[in-house]
Amino acid sequence: MSTGNGTVTTASSEFLSNIIGKPVVVKLHSGMLYQGTLESIDGFMNVALNQATEHYESEKNGLLYRYDGDVFVRGTQVLYISEA
Amino acid sequence: MSSDSPLDLLKLNLDEKVYVKLRGARELTGTLQAFDSHCNIVLSDAVETIYELVENELKSTKREAEMIFVRGDTVTLVTTPSDQ
Repeated sequence: MSTGNGTVTTASSEFLSNIIGKPVVVKLHSGMLYQGTLESIDGFMNVALNQATEHYESEKNGLLYRYDGDVFVRGTQVLYISEA
Repeated sequence: MSSDSPLDLLKLNLDEKVYVKLRGARELTGTLQAFDSHCNIVLSDAVETIYELVENELKSTKREAEMIFVRGDTVTLVTTPSDQ
């Protein structure tokens, strides 16, 4: 909101808090792709997803698993998060 | 940011059965006794499922431990087990 680095951090954390409750895609370093509703996220990029599906690299590669409960994904493994 | 961080949501799984996905296609199930912000995890009545290819066929074997401490850096995902 203000200047310099402040703008960057505000914009990125604003993005993260704005996508809570929305459908998101999360890709991990391993190539695993998770899609689900974003329950919560913290500054370490730890993520909690609801109704998550698991694919390898892309949706085209077929569903590997559907998680019924909440899924916790460790932040250090996260490559990116985006709105689905 | 949500008031409940993803790690706070993990607390709901304490004393419950959990499924833990680790790096290198490894997995564990057990009762969640404790965890910390590094995702170091203590499981009781833990079962490790080991997958291997034997003559091009996927075989899985299980190994059990009464109590196990998992180092957080290998953890990728934690959820409730369904039929895993």
